[in-house]
Amino acid sequence: MILLSGVGKTFRGRDGGRVEALSDITLRVAPGEFVAIVGASGCGKSTLLRLVAGLVPVSLGRVEVSGTLVSEPRADTAMVFQAPTLLPWADVLRNVTFPLRLMGKATRTTEDEARVLLAKAGLTGFETKLPRELSGGMQQRVAICRALLQQPRVLLMDEPFGALDALTREEMSIELLRIWAETGAAVLFVTHSISEAVLLADRVVVMSPRPGRIADVIQVGLPRPRDFAQEGTPAFHDAAQRIRALIYAKKEAAHGAA
Amino acid sequence: MARPNLTGPIAVILLFVIWEGSVQGFGIREFLLPAPSVILSEAWTIRGAILNHTLATLQTVLLGFAAAVLISLPLAMAIASSPVISAAIYPLLVITQSIPKVALAPILIVALGANEVPRVIVTFLVAFFPLVVASVAGLLAAPPELIELGRACRAGRVQQMLRIRLPYAVPFVFGGLKVAAALSVVGAVVAEFVGADAGLGYLIQTSMAFFRTPLAFAAVVILALMGMTLFALVGLMERVLFPWSTSSQTNIPAA
Ligand SMILES: Nc1ncnc2c1ncn2[C@@H]1O[C@H](COP(=O)(O)OP(=O)(O)OP(=O)(O)O)[C@@H](O)[C@H]1O
Ligand SMILES: [Mg+2]
Repeated sequence: MILLSGVGKTFRGRDGGRVEALSDITLRVAPGEFVAIVGASGCGKSTLLRLVAGLVPVSLGRVEVSGTLVSEPRADTAMVFQAPTLLPWADVLRNVTFPLRLMGKATRTTEDEARVLLAKAGLTGFETKLPRELSGGMQQRVAICRALLQQPRVLLMDEPFGALDALTREEMSIELLRIWAETGAAVLFVTHSISEAVLLADRVVVMSPRPGRIADVIQVGLPRPRDFAQEGTPAFHDAAQRIRALIYAKKEAAHGAA
Repeated sequence: MARPNLTGPIAVILLFVIWEGSVQGFGIREFLLPAPSVILSEAWTIRGAILNHTLATLQTVLLGFAAAVLISLPLAMAIASSPVISAAIYPLLVITQSIPKVALAPILIVALGANEVPRVIVTFLVAFFPLVVASVAGLLAAPPELIELGRACRAGRVQQMLRIRLPYAVPFVFGGLKVAAALSVVGAVVAEFVGADAGLGYLIQTSMAFFRTPLAFAAVVILALMGMTLFALVGLMERVLFPWSTSSQTNIPAA
């Protein structure tokens, strides 16, 4: 579904300096697979999603989705940005339907489907509210609904639950898994939370910084459907421990070198 | 939002009271500074003529304002959509702004005849520039994240302009519209000073020629009211048509 081979990304700063954000990233995500990405701040996670989304071009290597080279944003790819990024002039319902309307893919049922999604996200009764009338967490849930409504084959999520409180986060995680199981999209999910990565993903990509590389990929062997009861199991702890070890090993190596 | 704010009206009434009192108290001569009561009574005696002058000026103002809106918004979109167009057009705009409109008016009247057309053009020239500048600023103010959202939704340049940049610019555009509304009145009067046989600007000139100062003052007061009313109407239109815009304006400094 998603294929990155030997991908590198170097940004040219305005002062002429170069920032190597990503280097030698090779990763294959199967259709219907849920892959989480964890790593320190600034190690290129958002950049990686932008490359797959076709929003920025690669400097090296190639990115493919469904066997074709990604050179521009695709209709079957949806992205949840790190910030909610809602249209300030449009109410919740029109924000959620905006991509489909923009792409001319809205149908008579689009609005009803949007209402169903909003209900699942606990936003019933807020359909006609403006973004500034919502809390940060509610705005982020609207942004998640907006991406899900597109029924993407590839779903890119950049810390989508970052602005949510712990309780809503758990609810949304389980809801996301349920919707994902129905749609069978390939998901790339960036998070700072190791337990969230383990709970959600089939595989967890651990990245190391400067330049961003894949340190290792951890298989999560937990059975599906997942729920929070699994957080107490040895398999969960084992996966979380291995991820943590990778992240801290990298930190220590960096400190040792410095 | 404190709705019934009476500070403004009270200040205006107070000004008129002090004005009346000073003129009466110090015995200021009428052709220098007429008292408000004299202005009112003189104007009342020729109220029919004043109404006609007011309507003549209002017509010029509205036509000039409408031309400014119709031309400024597409122009602003063209400027905002391409650095090349922007680099080509902006110097021309600044040149039109550097020419004093009073100097331009007689030339236009010779070229186009002593009719409504040159007056509307002068009004337009005075009013459109701040509207273009404010609109361009608004169109370029859309945050990069929203532009990226549009790109992710495969929006082309036209869609990006119409579906993202233009709505985002609404508070800015209305800031420009308010300035343009007030300036339209200025432009119309400037044009009438130079070539007109009706209108409040014409009334001011003829009144002063015959030392009928109270009539000139009456025309000035009506012009002020006209500007204020247009300004308020633009604000009202913004609140009715774009209810999300007015309150966000407290956060976005309109240019
Ligand atoms: N448009 C850009 N121009 C220049 N440099 C950039 C640009 N985007 C990202 N970078 C650089 O690339 C590196 C990775 O940035 P990125 O946003 O992908 O990190 P991240 O892993 O998402 O961090 P965080 O967890 O804080 O969101 C950073 O060093 C950043 O400065
Ligand atoms: Mg990021």
